[in-house]
Amino acid sequence: MSAPLFSLLGLGKSFGERVLFENAQVGFEAGSGYVLTGPNGSGKTTLLRIAAGLEPARGQAGFRVQSSAIAEYPEAWRREIVYVHQQPYLFHTSIEKNLEYGLARRGMPPAERIARAREALEWAGLGDRRTVPPHKLSGGEKQRVALARAKVLNPTLLLLDEPTANLDGDARRQVLELVTALCIENHTVVVASHDPEIIRLAILNRLHVYGGHIKSDD
Amino acid sequence: MELFEPTREAFRLLFSADAALWTIIWTSLWCSTVAILLIAPPAIGTGYLIAKVAFPGRRALVVLVQALLSFPTVVVGLMIYMFLSRQGPLGFLRLLFTPEAMIIGYMVIAFPVLVVFTLSAVQGADPRIYETARSLGAGRARAALTTLYEVRFGVMAAVFNGFGRVVSEVGCSIMVGGNIAGLTRNIPTAIALETSKGEFTQGIALGFVLIVVAIGINVALAWLQGRGGLD
Repeated sequence: MSAPLFSLLGLGKSFGERVLFENAQVGFEAGSGYVLTGPNGSGKTTLLRIAAGLEPARGQAGFRVQSSAIAEYPEAWRREIVYVHQQPYLFHTSIEKNLEYGLARRGMPPAERIARAREALEWAGLGDRRTVPPHKLSGGEKQRVALARAKVLNPTLLLLDEPTANLDGDARRQVLELVTALCIENHTVVVASHDPEIIRLAILNRLHVYGGHIKSDD
Repeated sequence: MELFEPTREAFRLLFSADAALWTIIWTSLWCSTVAILLIAPPAIGTGYLIAKVAFPGRRALVVLVQALLSFPTVVVGLMIYMFLSRQGPLGFLRLLFTPEAMIIGYMVIAFPVLVVFTLSAVQGADPRIYETARSLGAGRARAALTTLYEVRFGVMAAVFNGFGRVVSEVGCSIMVGGNIAGLTRNIPTAIALETSKGEFTQGIALGFVLIVVAIGINVALAWLQGRGGLD
């Protein structure tokens, strides 16, 4: 087995008296997809947030050949590791500008940003909605914008928190298709999900989060 | 007291391009605007930091800043007077009884207003704003700016309230400005002076301007909120 692209070692995380992880470890290999399963409150979201550098924790993180204390999460990793909330927040501007945000942070010229953003919106099936303000979108459309906003950055590691939660019918199906497409496109994707269809996806490795540990289901 | 005639005279004065009257109005608006423009960045930054950064004594600091909101402006004026008077530590600057001294006073008065309003806006902001910005590759400073942009109507309310407080302020203006005609006489000090002399015409005209400014601030804020697409 090759060295993982991203790993957490000796992971410890508590909320007050409640211990969520104690000396846990997990590794994600490059180009592989993972789904985190486990009951509510087991720590799936917290694990993703720790991996994204949004949640302080004890232990070591490794990314490519670099290693760092989780508490001192390197800024450079944020350019390659993108986290999408369960209910994504879209900035109060146009959808297209939302997609350009991360590209602008990477110093991309405006013309190229616009082209890339439009391409990603087409991918998400929202090409005709690019000037619409986010508050006029449905829940499913917001989730698709968030996925496109993450995809456009071509992240090395993509962390998705319950992407189909609170969606049903067509909206759920469309988001599911995008998640599947992201997994197939050779991104390293980690999805926290209760959705049986995502859990059953053959391209994903199943990791069970329970009792403070992360174990492979396969 | 006859009300109709002075009011009619006041409106005639307002539209007669009276140089003295418009100098007073200009002094008020200029000093208030400059003060707000100068104090807004540090005050908004302070409000943001108090809201987002946990440190020992934060709660006490919030209480202190909130207490400063009700600090009498005449006392602010007195303190600045002592600093700027000839025997004071900053007396060598020779700023007392100048528009610059009034601007300093206004900055001190507006600071807690801007800090408290910004603090409140940022504390009420959705935490996903900052996290989303960070996760999309923004540094801390850019993510902070993004958060402030997302709560921009709260921040604008801070700025407009700060402006409203200083443009109608009397105590500090008189203490450090000296109410000098053509130099530091502004709307509130002129109203106070003219009324004390029994001259209501100019007072009513200037009072009308202050009311228009107050309404204008609120209309501008509502208009900007509408343009922001908020329902």
